[in-house]
Amino acid sequence: MTVLPRLTLSALLLGASALTALPLAAETTLTVARSVDADGLDPQKVSTTQSSQVTDLIFDTLVSLDATGAPHPALAESWTISEDNLTYSFTIRQGLTCHDGAAFGPEDVVFTFTRAVAPETMNPRLSQYGPIESVTAEGNVVTVKMTEPYGPFLSYLGSFALPMLCKGSVAADGAFAPIGTGPFSLVEWVRNDHITLKANDAYQGFGQLVENKGRPHIDTLKLVVIPEAVARMAALRSGEVDLAEPSLEEAAMLSGEPGFKIYSADLSGQQVMAAFTWKLPPFDNPEVRRAIGMALDRDAYAAIAYEGLVSPTTCPAAPGLIGVDQEKCAEWGTKYDPDAARAIMEGLGYTPQNPLKIKLSVHALPGFDQMHQMMQQHLAEIGVEAELETREVAAFFDQMSQENQRTEGMPVLWTMGYSGVDSDYMTVMWQQPGFVNMGVGAELDTMLADQRMLTGEARVAKLQEVQKYLLENTYAVPLVSPGWNWLWASTDKIEGFKTGFVASLIFNDVKKID
Amino acid sequence: MLTFVARRLLTAAITILVVVFLAGVLIHLVPGDPITAMLAQSGNASAADIARLTQQYGLDRPVWQQALIYVGNVLQGDLGTTIRGNEPVAPLLLGRLPNTIALAVAGLGTALALGIPMGVIAAVNRGRAADFAVMLIAILGVSIPGFWMGLTFIQVFSLHLGWFPVAGTSARNIVLPALTLGIVHSALVARMTRSALIDILNEDYIRTARARGLREREVLMVHAMRPAMISIVTVVGLVFAHLLGGQVITENVFSWNGIGRLAIQAMLQRDYPLVQGFIVIFATSIVLVTTALDLLYGLLDPRVRRR
Repeated sequence: MTVLPRLTLSALLLGASALTALPLAAETTLTVARSVDADGLDPQKVSTTQSSQVTDLIFDTLVSLDATGAPHPALAESWTISEDNLTYSFTIRQGLTCHDGAAFGPEDVVFTFTRAVAPETMNPRLSQYGPIESVTAEGNVVTVKMTEPYGPFLSYLGSFALPMLCKGSVAADGAFAPIGTGPFSLVEWVRNDHITLKANDAYQGFGQLVENKGRPHIDTLKLVVIPEAVARMAALRSGEVDLAEPSLEEAAMLSGEPGFKIYSADLSGQQVMAAFTWKLPPFDNPEVRRAIGMALDRDAYAAIAYEGLVSPTTCPAAPGLIGVDQEKCAEWGTKYDPDAARAIMEGLGYTPQNPLKIKLSVHALPGFDQMHQMMQQHLAEIGVEAELETREVAAFFDQMSQENQRTEGMPVLWTMGYSGVDSDYMTVMWQQPGFVNMGVGAELDTMLADQRMLTGEARVAKLQEVQKYLLENTYAVPLVSPGWNWLWASTDKIEGFKTGFVASLIFNDVKKID
Repeated sequence: MLTFVARRLLTAAITILVVVFLAGVLIHLVPGDPITAMLAQSGNASAADIARLTQQYGLDRPVWQQALIYVGNVLQGDLGTTIRGNEPVAPLLLGRLPNTIALAVAGLGTALALGIPMGVIAAVNRGRAADFAVMLIAILGVSIPGFWMGLTFIQVFSLHLGWFPVAGTSARNIVLPALTLGIVHSALVARMTRSALIDILNEDYIRTARARGLREREVLMVHAMRPAMISIVTVVGLVFAHLLGGQVITENVFSWNGIGRLAIQAMLQRDYPLVQGFIVIFATSIVLVTTALDLLYGLLDPRVRRR
């Protein structure tokens, strides 16, 4: 062998060894600790936020909501609404691929709607689809006909509650496998332990809250379940997980600690409020309800009970939703004024020495406990003695269903939370019989029914009329927003994490930095 | 012997059947409606949806009727489907049973490894400082709440020392929950070992063995421990049965994916079919363990067979 071939061989060997020594692009795995797992991964059979947080990563929606709640094109590149508001025509975007490699098209949209409203699906969110009469496809256009106008339809179509499935999700034998067009596809689900998702290489995103419209930056997303808050925080601090749901106390502590970040779901659509068993005297007297509303200091609850991690709110629907105007609501509703409240109660014969005895019926959630203790003190100052009754969630709603039907006995002030992507949830709550029988009456029922028939500014005006009615009659005392499952903590090595409507989780922009 | 076995198995079958029926009835006495609780979390608790799903899940039927239907389904091997997520209950529970059994076995092994030596030391040193010290440790072990001990272990062994992962279900993950369960249950094993040994060490035949010049270790291990094991086996059976269903909190603290954790979540959600399925599987496990113990006694002691 001459010198030249030897050199060449050496150079080749060196090159080869150098190539093998080059670091390959490392797979990025983001591990997220949640307190509870999804109930299922079929978006047409689940109802909890924790379930939809996962299905929202696998499936996309026809429309995408911006931070103001306005709908924009997503899987549907455009749409038209007939003049009578009964027919929606969606033009489905072409060139989209399902996780199983099949092309996504109008037939998938028809399949999604048909399955969603079929009785055998037992869809817990059926009513959010509205009064659908038929869904048909012609060419690239899907036509949805309603039996009557349904104003919130587009909002719900932009929420994680009504995503679009690919037909491949349901096998011939009826077995379900989550196959969508979303940013992640399912690798593995070990119920109550972990869900592993991988980035969808063919992803085309249209989310209004997302900057990265292509494949997510991270390769693998692992959602692990760690029920105990202390253990979740230990896992975050030890580096076992990158992102975790903190307790309220931990969040307050971490927010001032270097090396950690706290995220609050500002667009949660969540609302915490106080309500009355208004059929029970003296809560049937609007003046009494008004006095109690004036005794409740929402600013203090937000700052002290919730450690400043929520905002006081004045409207019966959550900030950011259609028709919600905090300034107008502040004018219509009660303002904190303990002196005026005390004067009203004294006029009715109630004093700290001769108090009105009521029950303060609640269920436990982070921040709620401290708020309820403060409420007790505030009520005592105006001559209302509130006996605190705490139940766990399921028993609480059962109890309130009964309390709201009673017409005699001790009156009850109760707190609750509600969430959604559209102020239409006031219909579910307040239209008779209403959520846990909290419906109010025919006048409000008509207003709530009317807002569903309208669109645009007319609907906004009607929704504000509803809120004005609820606030001026003090059926509801809005307190704070958001209020549950709304906090996240990460190390400062995580960038780009966001939350969307109803505390959805957005990982499209997430990067792990060294 | 055959009659004895048949009688015990028949009793076990009847007990399980009664439990299945009671599980179907008693679950409805707990306040809270599963459909309202489910829909309240969906932002969609409309009265129409609640009524529709209540009817579709058969929850509008009288309780006795629901319970009888449930017994019929269980007899056909069908534990129903969950209300949350609409999944079959049996695979959901049975899939987690191996994890629960693994933790129960590991916890029991730890309890025996700690409890028996402690009991022996206490019995041999009865009334002395070692006896008091061991019993004090045992009482502390049983008095410290399991969840507190578990969280402390996480802080020390996972967060500060980094020896074990905080959460998960794997061979490495089993050490801390097994240690927690073992310490809590070792107290009972220690006390039972101590009292059984003290009784036996006062027997005439032990005195005779000592008089024959046998070494104390031989007296203890050969002549005293074997008869004491009958009492210890009783405790082992009960502790094991308890561990199968009673480790809910430990499973929760260490994120161990067993049926206990699933059950507590189902209970909070009022997911009746899942809770009922848990009760059936748990009760069946208890009945099978106690039946096996009965049969074992019958085998060891003929007097039991004649009763």
